[in-house]
Amino acid sequence: MPTLVSIFDLPSDVANSVRKLKARGFDDLTTYSPAPFPEIEDAEDPKPSGVRLWTLIGGLLGVTTGFAFQIWASLEWPIKIGGKAYTAIPPFWIIGFELTILFGGFATLFGLLAVGKLRPRKLDPHYSRRFSAEEFGVVVNCEGRDVAEIEALLREHSAKEVNVVDS
Amino acid sequence: MAPPPPATAVGDAMTPLPVPRDSRANIDIMAVTKGFHWPWFAALVLVLIGVAQAAFTLAYQTYWGFGVAGYQAPVFWGLYIVTFVFWIGIGHAGTLISAILFLFRAKWRNAVNRGAEALTVFAVLTAVLFPVLHLGRLWKLYYLLPYPNQRGLWVNFKSPLLWDVFAINTYMLISIVFFYIGLIPDIAMARDRATGGKKIVYTVLALGWQGTGVQWKAHSRAVLHLSGLATPLVLSVHSVVSWDFAMSVVPGWHATIFAPYFVAGAVFGGFAMVINVLIPVRRIFKLERYLTNYHFENMSRFILLTSTICGYAYAMEYFIAWYSGVEPEQTSFWLRLFGPYWFSTWCMITFNVIFPQLLWIKRLRTNLPFLFVLCFFINLGMWFERYVIIITSLSREFITGAWGLYIVSPVELSILVGSFCWFSMWFLLFLKAFPVIAISEVKELIIHEKEPGGAH
Repeated sequence: MPTLVSIFDLPSDVANSVRKLKARGFDDLTTYSPAPFPEIEDAEDPKPSGVRLWTLIGGLLGVTTGFAFQIWASLEWPIKIGGKAYTAIPPFWIIGFELTILFGGFATLFGLLAVGKLRPRKLDPHYSRRFSAEEFGVVVNCEGRDVAEIEALLREHSAKEVNVVDS
Repeated sequence: MAPPPPATAVGDAMTPLPVPRDSRANIDIMAVTKGFHWPWFAALVLVLIGVAQAAFTLAYQTYWGFGVAGYQAPVFWGLYIVTFVFWIGIGHAGTLISAILFLFRAKWRNAVNRGAEALTVFAVLTAVLFPVLHLGRLWKLYYLLPYPNQRGLWVNFKSPLLWDVFAINTYMLISIVFFYIGLIPDIAMARDRATGGKKIVYTVLALGWQGTGVQWKAHSRAVLHLSGLATPLVLSVHSVVSWDFAMSVVPGWHATIFAPYFVAGAVFGGFAMVINVLIPVRRIFKLERYLTNYHFENMSRFILLTSTICGYAYAMEYFIAWYSGVEPEQTSFWLRLFGPYWFSTWCMITFNVIFPQLLWIKRLRTNLPFLFVLCFFINLGMWFERYVIIITSLSREFITGAWGLYIVSPVELSILVGSFCWFSMWFLLFLKAFPVIAISEVKELIIHEKEPGGAH
């Protein structure tokens, strides 16, 4: 199956070409960018990132753990402090809040690792250090019969290089 | 149907093309990590000596006991707690720049956020040492944490000191996570250009980052969520630290204004430290193209704002002390100004409120030598602020017969100097390991400017 590796200078060109490619049904593509550009990310995959769910679950787990642990420990070793009830809720808010942030923050990190598939591994064969300079890459896998059409489409959107490789 | 083109390897296909030049931002900013810089080396040697002498002092204090630090009734919270609060405060500017200004989409933060985040992490790593040093018996450290034990005891969840343990540790861990997530794309860039051992380290730390659309989307979302979490966290941390004092009934501490007063002071001191550190970094490593007068002017504006808030808080403290009609409160504040610690109080007011008002003058906001000197005095003033709050209040409580005079001991001074060296050591090592400016974020601005119509 041929693969087209194209190089761009501007994020708007990348976003436009990706949108066009997807509209034509060429979905098997990956973009590479040296910096975050929402227009490219949304063109490649308009769905919201799954990281949000990780943060939410982490935060809820944190607040539940914070309160449950304080209440349980205070009942496990009941001692009157400052005339307050054993399970006085207002002072428990502080640690409940801190654990919400702590668990939510770590869940966000794990979400990023899971959703972005981040782990020490071999890089994609078409990845180039040019993509961590100031250039952009769009890599499209396609059928042999579609190569000419995709190449024309990429060049039409200001791709400065299009290389066809067999993967 | 057209036949498929001949199969060629990626390398073959790209060989005939001229090798493209690397991004100038990559070259300029990574230059900091390469080569030998005399000022950097001299500073590192100096701070290592400072850390070594503090380690020796700590061993001495641990062997002989806490008494060598000069602690005696009525002041048992001395220089260690003063310096603990100071360093926690310094850590606030980084999160403010990274998280709060990110949420407000203040793009100017892109050039300074990495340095400020690093300062936050290292300031908090310095701060967390002080409650431990203050224990005296270092091996009892685990008593601070709730852990299952045979005695069936649990820590007191209603104590502000325990809240502090949770707040500070959460802040330290979340700051490190935030810092690392921001670094990943830049570490990947460094990986692509490194050789030998550095390449191996960067490869592991970059976690296979390639800047794909999916990765950037997850990264942007993670940064956004962490900013959302870190914003209330940063406000809570110094609030909780302030409650270590405000929850007590000690004259001078028992005030509801403490939380916002401490947070404003923390941001104020934090920005001053960021300026104090970034001005020499900019000069030594020739980063004038990235750290411009515009950035320093914006930070100066924050300093002016927070200085004014501090001034208001100082005034309100005195007003409430007078208006409350509570004699010990009134006496405490009178003695702050005219008692044995008058020098520290007047330093605090002069350096934190009066001097920064010069920043109303635009020419001074962009005069870097002036800013450097001013921020040095602000840092001094903020340290004195904590000294005033803690020492003057404890040495002059309710019963006049229990009053005492606190004198700083050489052991405390040695540890104080060591803390600055410890903080500087981490920052100096960071300069040579990772990019001090968030390159991918700077590139975002550079690339936007290339678009027809320029930046948006």
